[in-house]
Formats: sequence, structure tokens, C-alpha cells
Amino acid sequence: MSGRTPRDELRDTTEHGGLYLRRLMRAQLGLSLLTVIAFGGLAGSLPLALYLLPGLQEVEVLGLPLPLLIVAVPLYPVFIAFGLVYERRARALEAEFRDLVEPPE
Amino acid sequence: MIALAAIVAVTGATVGLGLYGVRVVRTTSDLFVASRAVTPWWNAAAIGGEYLSAASFLGIAGLQMKLGSGALWLPLGFTAGYLALLLFVAAPLRRLGAYTISDFAESRLGSVRLRTLSAAIVLGIGGFYLVPQLKGAGLTLREVTGAPYWVGVLAVGAVVAGNVAAGGMRGITYVQAFQYWLKTFAIALPACLLLLYLGGLPERAALFGHELPRAPAGGLVVELDAPTMVTFPEATRYSIDGVARRARADERRELPAGTVRLPADTAVPVSEGIDAQRGEQWSRPVSDQGPVSPVFVYSLLVATFLGTMGLPHILVRFYTNPDGPAARRTTVRVLGLLSLFYAFPVVYGLLGRALLPELYLTGETDSVVLRLPEAAWPGLGGELLGALVAAGAFAAFMSTASGLLVSLAGTVSFDLWRGGEGAVSERRRRFRVAALGAIVPPIALALLARGLDISLLVGWAFALAASTFCPLLLLGIWWEGLTARGAAAGLVVGSLVSSGLIFLGLAWEAGTTTLQELLSQPAVISVPLAFATMVVVSLMDRGRAPATADAQLLALHAPEGLGLGLEQR
Repeated sequence: MSGRTPRDELRDTTEHGGLYLRRLMRAQLGLSLLTVIAFGGLAGSLPLALYLLPGLQEVEVLGLPLPLLIVAVPLYPVFIAFGLVYERRARALEAEFRDLVEPPE
Repeated sequence: MIALAAIVAVTGATVGLGLYGVRVVRTTSDLFVASRAVTPWWNAAAIGGEYLSAASFLGIAGLQMKLGSGALWLPLGFTAGYLALLLFVAAPLRRLGAYTISDFAESRLGSVRLRTLSAAIVLGIGGFYLVPQLKGAGLTLREVTGAPYWVGVLAVGAVVAGNVAAGGMRGITYVQAFQYWLKTFAIALPACLLLLYLGGLPERAALFGHELPRAPAGGLVVELDAPTMVTFPEATRYSIDGVARRARADERRELPAGTVRLPADTAVPVSEGIDAQRGEQWSRPVSDQGPVSPVFVYSLLVATFLGTMGLPHILVRFYTNPDGPAARRTTVRVLGLLSLFYAFPVVYGLLGRALLPELYLTGETDSVVLRLPEAAWPGLGGELLGALVAAGAFAAFMSTASGLLVSLAGTVSFDLWRGGEGAVSERRRRFRVAALGAIVPPIALALLARGLDISLLVGWAFALAASTFCPLLLLGIWWEGLTARGAAAGLVVGSLVSSGLIFLGLAWEAGTTTLQELLSQPAVISVPLAFATMVVVSLMDRGRAPATADAQLLALHAPEGLGLGLEQR
């Protein structure tokens, strides 16, 4: 029995293999949820912040009221940044799992 | 005339390229194999090409003019939807190798009934989403040629249905990628040139200050082709067909069809459904006095953030990625491409309010993108830019409508039309019949629903998708405890609650605005309900979780190249 690798356990979907699988899923889901919380905290609090701070309307940047500018421009680069960071971290998690299933010599 | 030529050229190129592509690519598996050479950039442009619809091209600027800067939350949500897709769905679903949501439902939960139920919901979402595309086509053709609204609806409906039935546009990545760049060019170049030509934003008082939109020096002449109910924000002298008239401040009255003349500096009367807002109010992205309250904004963001993954024509594009990590790389690029496009509609909304106040009177704010070039830049320059915008708009209707119709026809012919299939020729025949049949209800709706905004109609499609397929995908991918019964119960609750509230909102004028807003954008209620139903019913049904759940989850999550995914089994 000692010859059974994580790969065999996973392939035969044994209870042991289930543990490996859940560990991978938990790690991936944790990363995704962390990204959503960070992003949601930032983008999701924006409508409330603009609602609670109506005075910002008087501030003009580049000839436009600041709230309008905030909604129209700066969030988009943030999307891309979150996407890039997440994509790298997700790939790293998969590499870790690969090392577990197929230990490097 | 130039604009009509540009529209015909875009339509011809789309149909032609699609038909040519069919000769090369015959079946989904051919497509699949051939597409392994497609890079993430091409894939991302193709996804953007299929996604950027009439709502993005015409609707955002139109809604911005009508409601105010609050409309700018819409493109943010449209983009954020791809972040949700990236974080929770893109890579796992690509690994499972399911081509549609119905495929996913059946293979993950082992229930043919669930497949049928999903298929029915696909028809609902796709139908909702097709209506605004056809509506945009009717509007555009009327702006360009003066033909009645129904001509454009029928013409584009017929071209798209014929094209899809003939086999064109079926997953042709390069055609869709071309459409993305055409659309972005067509919205970006006029926006930049008009800003340069005008030297910035004119009429700042009506945009950000204390002013209402007013008739320009020299007065405003508006042709009404139908009787129109309007409200006068101030006491006004005007004339209809040369007969002088007066209206009191806040008077609501029906103007007959004819030529309306407003003297210089008169506040423009607003059509039914539009509030006359002063600049400072109009430019606020969120406030409790205008039409965009925080409740509405959050419900809209929830619907778009969670609804994108459930649109029937989006997921299928992800299968041209060779594997899970490539699906992720593609999605990140989609975020970039969408961000580029969405930098420009806001320019049309701002300039439109300053230069096209007559749209408030006619109520046709959805045509602001089409009208703006010629209004801002009289002469050949404006005409050429107008032609470019019209061509871009047509690219938007064609590509999105075709993608949707392919999904609808595929759903009808494979998931719902059962028994007696087998021969390839029979399947092809069914697909054709389904394509021709599935376009009819959306055409009828587009002809009836003239008064509804493009962006609102699209908002409903998103609300329905977020309340049904979003919980199905998220729980199906990340929770082993989901059962077929739980999923079915959640789908039923989500679709009934979301569409029920929308129809209630249409039929009944709720007293308070918050309630009215919730009825027109119910995601914030219906999505949690659908999730809760799926979880609770699945827990009650625990013994019936499919025995293959672990194998399916392994196929969804195991990295490639380990001999664990579907590829090696």
C-alpha cells in the first residue's frame, strides 16, 4: 500500500484523494474570495462614499466634477491589476498542487 | 448616404466572412481543434466583440443623458462581470469541457430534467437580450435613412436569422475579433476628434452648474412624428406648426405631431419618463434626489457583476481556449479591452446633453451617439464620423444578435427538440428551423416595446442571469453538496422572483421611488433568494448528491498535465 501516490488516490477518488482535492479547492476558493473582498471593498464602497460625501461634487479635476471622474476612469486600471495579480497567484497554487502530486526529484 | 453605405459594407463583410469561415470550419470539434492555435489576445478580442452590444454602444450614453452620471455604473458592472467570471468560473469550466450551461448542469449533476430547465432559462435570457439589439437596429436605420422604426428591426432580424441559419457566425473567432476593433475604433475616433474640434466641453452650466438644458441661440426646431407627452420645467412660449402657444411651469401636456419651435434660451420640455435635472444634479453619480439612488446602483452592480457569467453567448466562447490557465489569461485581457472601449461612451453623454437637448423632448436619448457627430460638426467631417458611428453600431447589433441566436437555436435544436435526431443532416435542419423560429418572439417584442430604454432591457437580462445561472455555476463548481433538486429549485425561484418583480414594476406604478427602483432592478432581492434556495434544498436532499461529484470536481479543478483531468481519462 505504501506505493500509492497522491495521484493514485486522486484518480480513484478515494477518501484520501478527496482530501487532496478539497485542499486545492479551498486554496483556490480562498484566493478568489480574498480578491472579491478586496475588490468589493474598494469598488463596492464607492457608491456609498459618493452618496455620503456630496461635497465632493464641488471639487473639480481636469474641468470635471470629481465624483463623475472617479466613476468614469480610475476603477478600470484597478480591475486589470486585480485580474493580473489573481491570475499569477492562481497559477502558483496550481504549481504547488502539481509538486504535491508529482514531487520534483 | 455615406452612413447607409458604411452600414451595408459592415453587414456585407460580416455575412461574407461568416459564410467563408463556414467552409473552413465545419463542426464544433473542428473548431475546437483548429482553435488551439488561437492566442489569448485573439480570443479576448473575440469575446469583447461578441459582448459589446447595442447596450454598450448606444445605451450607456443614452441612459447617461437621461438619468445622469449614475448611468456610468453600468459599464463598470459590465466589466466587473468578467472579474467574477475570471475568479470563479473561467478555468474550471474550460477544464470540464462543457460547451453550454445546460451541458454543465447535466454533466455535473447527472440530470436530464435539469438540462431541460436550464435550456428554458437560456431562451428567456437570450430573448430578453435580443430585443434591445433589434431595437437598436430599428433606431439606427431610422436615424440614417429616415425609414420607419420597424424596417430596421425586421431587416436586421432577417439578416441575422438568415446568416445564422446558413451557418455563418458559428464561433468564428476572427470575425468577432475584427468586430471588437471595429467597434472600439468607431466609438473612440469620433469621440476624440469631436472633443478636439469643439476644444473641450461646451455649455458647462447645463452639465455641471445650476442650469437646465436650454434651446441654443437661434432657437430649437424639433419635428415630432407622433403625439408626445411632455412636462415643461418653466413657463414657456413655443409654437407648433407656426401657431403660438404657452405653457405654465411644471405643466404636463401632450404635444401633437408637427414642428415644435422653442425660442432661444427656453428650457427644453422633457418627455415622459425623464426628469428635468439641473447640471449639478445630473452630474452626480449617486444621490437620493435624482433617479439613481444607492439602492438602484447597488442592485445594478450586483446584477451585472454576477449576471455576465450566465449570459448564454459568453461561456461558449471560452472553449476556444486550449486549457484552464489560457482561459484565465484570456479573461484578464478581456478586462483590458473592455476598459479601453468603456472610456468613450461618457464623451457622447456629456456632449449630447450640451448639443442635442431636443432628445429630451422627443425622449429618444438612445440615439445620442448616432446624432452627435453631425450636430457637433456640421459638414463633411460630421457626416463621415456619423457614418463611422453608424457602422460601429451595426457591428454591435450584428455580432451580439448573431451570438445570441446561435445559442438560442442550439438550445432549441439540441436540448429541447428531442427524439429522432441522429443523422447530421437532420440536426442541421433542426438548427436552421430553430434559428428562423427563435428570432420571431424578440422581433415582436422589439416592435411592441418601443418606449423602453435599451440599457434597461439589458439590465433585466442580467438580473435574470444573475438570479439563475450564477448560483448554479458558483455552487456547482465550488460545493460538492449541490444536488439536482436543489439546483432546479433555485433556478425556478430565481427566475420567477426576478421576472415576476420586473413585470410587476411594469404593470404597477409603485408609490415610493425606492420600491419602484427595486422592481425595475430586482437582483439585490432575487439573487440571495436563489442562492439560499439552492443551498437549503440541497441540504435537505443530502442523500441524493450525485455519486460522481468528486470525479466531476476533480475534472473542474485539477491542473492540466497530471493525468487527472478529462483530457487523459
